Amino acid sequence: MYQYNEFDRNFVNQRVAHYRDQTERYLQGDLSEEEFLQLRLRNGLYVQRLAPMLRVAIPYGTLSSQQLRALASISNDFDRGYGHLSTRQNMQFNWPALEDVPDILQALADVDMHAIQTSGSCIRNVTTDQFAGAAADEDIDPRPFCELLRQWSTSHPEFEWLPRKFKIAVTGATFDRAAIGVHDIGIRINGSSEQPENALVDIYAGGGLGRTPVLGALIREQLPVKHLLTYTEAIMRVYNRYGRRDNKYKARIKILVRALTAEGFKAQVDEEWAAINHEQGAVPAAELSRLSAFFAPPSFAELDNAGELLGTQRLENPAFNRWMKHNVHPHRVRGYSVVTLSTKTTGMPPGDVSSDQMDAVASWADSYGFGEIRISHEQNFVLPHIPQDKLYGLWQQADAVGLGHFNAGLISDMICCPGGDYCSLANAKSLPVAEAIQRRFADYDYQHDLGNLDLNISGCMNACGHHHVGHIGILGVDKKGEEFYQISLGGHAGHSGESPRLGQIVGPSVAREEVCDVIEKVIQVYLEHRFVGETFLSCFNRIGILPFKESIYAKAA
Amino acid sequence: MPRLLKKIHGDWQICDVAEISWKTQEEWRAGSALQVSVDAEPAPGWLDASSIAIEFPAMTDGRGLSLAVLLRNRLGYSGELVARGSVHQDIAHFLARCGFDVIELPDEERLETALRWIDPHTGYYQPSVISRESALNNAS
Repeated sequence: MYQYNEFDRNFVNQRVAHYRDQTERYLQGDLSEEEFLQLRLRNGLYVQRLAPMLRVAIPYGTLSSQQLRALASISNDFDRGYGHLSTRQNMQFNWPALEDVPDILQALADVDMHAIQTSGSCIRNVTTDQFAGAAADEDIDPRPFCELLRQWSTSHPEFEWLPRKFKIAVTGATFDRAAIGVHDIGIRINGSSEQPENALVDIYAGGGLGRTPVLGALIREQLPVKHLLTYTEAIMRVYNRYGRRDNKYKARIKILVRALTAEGFKAQVDEEWAAINHEQGAVPAAELSRLSAFFAPPSFAELDNAGELLGTQRLENPAFNRWMKHNVHPHRVRGYSVVTLSTKTTGMPPGDVSSDQMDAVASWADSYGFGEIRISHEQNFVLPHIPQDKLYGLWQQADAVGLGHFNAGLISDMICCPGGDYCSLANAKSLPVAEAIQRRFADYDYQHDLGNLDLNISGCMNACGHHHVGHIGILGVDKKGEEFYQISLGGHAGHSGESPRLGQIVGPSVAREEVCDVIEKVIQVYLEHRFVGETFLSCFNRIGILPFKESIYAKAA
Repeated sequence: MPRLLKKIHGDWQICDVAEISWKTQEEWRAGSALQVSVDAEPAPGWLDASSIAIEFPAMTDGRGLSLAVLLRNRLGYSGELVARGSVHQDIAHFLARCGFDVIELPDEERLETALRWIDPHTGYYQPSVISRESALNNAS
């Protein structure tokens, strides 16, 4: 993974010093609430319903065991002993004291981390495939390009004060696990990790969820990667100058792209890019090689696949067998696997992890997996490089601390925002809904029979829980002061190898106590209609929304 | 006599300057001082201004930053570039790196804060209007 050099360390330390001064001036009354708001947001600090919330950047979801231990310490020293994995591969602390935040940021800087630009109307943490560098279907490792974008966008003088927040996602694999179609900019890298300077990039713009969900439009194909930064600069400049600033709900780039049409927007960006000296601004090949070297594969051992051993272990232990089936994914190197450690245990808020769990994951990463850890946008931990003969031991240890649940990709592995329990934006609670659904569908055989099913829950139309791209989406809405839930069906984020698609709203929203029954009806319709082996999504594509509508809203006879 | 933050021979200083009579785009003539809004489209004629000011409607409005970059890098304007209006002391360093060389702030305390943090880092990740140096070019 990327290693900070003296430049990077100086940068984050100087940033902490600056923010410490801003915090002191605020506490002395020299900065107003409104002025300080803008400064603290750009250092990751929100003020939520119950307390401040600090969002720590985990650049493109990659962190080391040492960094995870530091996060565990921070959660003990400054919070309540736990953290929350967000849907953008970050970690959030829900209870820090505002005056402690400079010390927390210093503790982060000490392990080469920061919370820079994790909120506010600026370029946010760049996200990517949680299996990057390990996935069997990967053509080129996206992380060097993510790091390039991270550095370029950090404290960019021109683009720190945009009309609205700005999210970039990058993928280099056949299956898009980064959901590039629903980001402000989505980047597909084509090429090979051996020759990063020859990569070609496809650029999508104007995607996003939120109040007005839109899929990004392909505005540039096969751009030589050395122009990635100048082309991004052109997009940012057009957006910064012409994006709406009069209404925050119409300020995202998707609204500008829609107003200009994708062709019109592309023309404007191309005109801007032509006027930039893009040869002078090209990323030097040496820089791409330098960054790529950080992400060279670890020194994998020459191993054989452990099929026979695993076969025996799976026969002996049905729970391990289930976990193998759902939580272990193919690795590009023989003898290794990619492991998802699910945080979705019934009774725990999705994505919440204790400091003990963080320490445990760090120690497994050290013992088995080159000290590397990933955070997925599904709010789980990933250990990307685990030798297959260590899987059983790892699973036993994980299971003992509540991280060995077998549900990756199943209905109970839902994406869920913190909702009305914590977030001041939410219209409705999301955590109790998640828990009720997990309880209703707890039976393994039933879940397994349903197969891959993405259920996503957001507590409001800001869509942090990605409900638009859930196979089943649940959105909390406010109806005259009461919490209701709108159900949508058939969305997906593009990770099944197709272009992403937004779900269709099935009908009028329902009360919280009805949500589980409605989900059960949806599942029943699927079970009645499906062919052998047909997934929920394929079945929905074939039969459409009508049978679901009829079942949910059937008048009592 | 207004006090403001000004870059003189490469050094930022707080100083007193003579009042400038700013003209809007409609009133403006070559040789006089031009004040534009953040949504103005730069025109080659502006090169004849004695000084250009960009007026920020809010501290969070980044359009003035892009406009400054265009004036410096695209139009080739090398004269005085003034940030006016709702300019904030904690954004002064961004203004400086986008090519402003005069920053107006309402009081002494804000001027001093802006001056203290006008260059908060010893190096930056990206080149800017005022420097070709960046972390990204170090490798080459």
